[in-house]
Amino acid sequence: MSTAMNFGTKSFQPRPPDKGSFPLDHFGECKAFKEKFLKCLRDNNFENTLCRNESKEYLECRMERQLMAQESLEKLGFKDLMDEKSEAKKNL
Amino acid sequence: MAVLGRPPWRRLGACWGWWGGRAAALQQRQPPWRLKSTNPFTREQEQEWRRRNRTVLMYVAAAAVGMIGASYAAVPLYRLYCQTTGLGGSTVAGHASDQIETMVPVKDRIIKVTFNADVHASLHWNFRPQQTEIYVVPGETALAFYKAKNPTDKPVIGISTYNVVPFAAGQYFNKIQCFCFEEQRLNPQEEVDMPIFFFIDPEFAEDPKMAKVDVITLSYTFFEAKGGHKLPVPGYN
Repeated sequence: MSTAMNFGTKSFQPRPPDKGSFPLDHFGECKAFKEKFLKCLRDNNFENTLCRNESKEYLECRMERQLMAQESLEKLGFKDLMDEKSEAKKNL
Repeated sequence: MAVLGRPPWRRLGACWGWWGGRAAALQQRQPPWRLKSTNPFTREQEQEWRRRNRTVLMYVAAAAVGMIGASYAAVPLYRLYCQTTGLGGSTVAGHASDQIETMVPVKDRIIKVTFNADVHASLHWNFRPQQTEIYVVPGETALAFYKAKNPTDKPVIGISTYNVVPFAAGQYFNKIQCFCFEEQRLNPQEEVDMPIFFFIDPEFAEDPKMAKVDVITLSYTFFEAKGGHKLPVPGYN
């Protein structure tokens, strides 16, 4: 890890994740969403900005199946997608 | 001639006769606390000096003990200072989820995050990333996947840690949720997807030291864990 014998240089400090660890998806319940997300990434040259809808769907799948703590999507950084959706609904 | 080998206050003893005896008696070693001066007028001064010396000695000893105590107390005090001011990077307490809610993506700074996967030699898992790289911008949450397979016939428990290169960029790399630092159990012949949900702090774009950094490599390493052994999670929690 940071075993370089350099006195004074900043070494890397691993930090625990903010919301802890994802429980393992032993039964592959969200595998379809993951495949969709990865296909989207491959099609878009691995740009994350263009595949945020798919990542949002994957996280929603996890939350539905108790594989992730329920959290509002704004808190996970999808506020702009939520705003778009509510605007689209308003315009309908 | 042997008299020259004696200490100066003893040399008079070599004198013969009455003088020799008197001098020897006088110069016999007196107890160290007996005052040196025999003159009554200077005795008081000598006592004053001795008192002053003792006071100075007390002050110096107290200062030395104080320094040793301060060096022990400095460790928790510095930690407290770092947490309140946030200087020094790694011990900022509280990346609250409100930060994620309010952060604005810095769209003009594209960073390539490459993924690396390693296992310890004694752990026979197939562990690899499911995408080689992903282009993110600071302030945007991103999802990435690793895949792990247990090809053996026994359930194996693994635990992982991660590393971010360049080291200095590691303080901007925030993981919201991942699979590290907790035991993960894989049954025989089981294959699972392991997601990581992360973002790069928008302040990354404002750090002059990070101006030339365009590629960040995230590297995960899996080790075998003995079941039930609770490992300390790094950090000052």
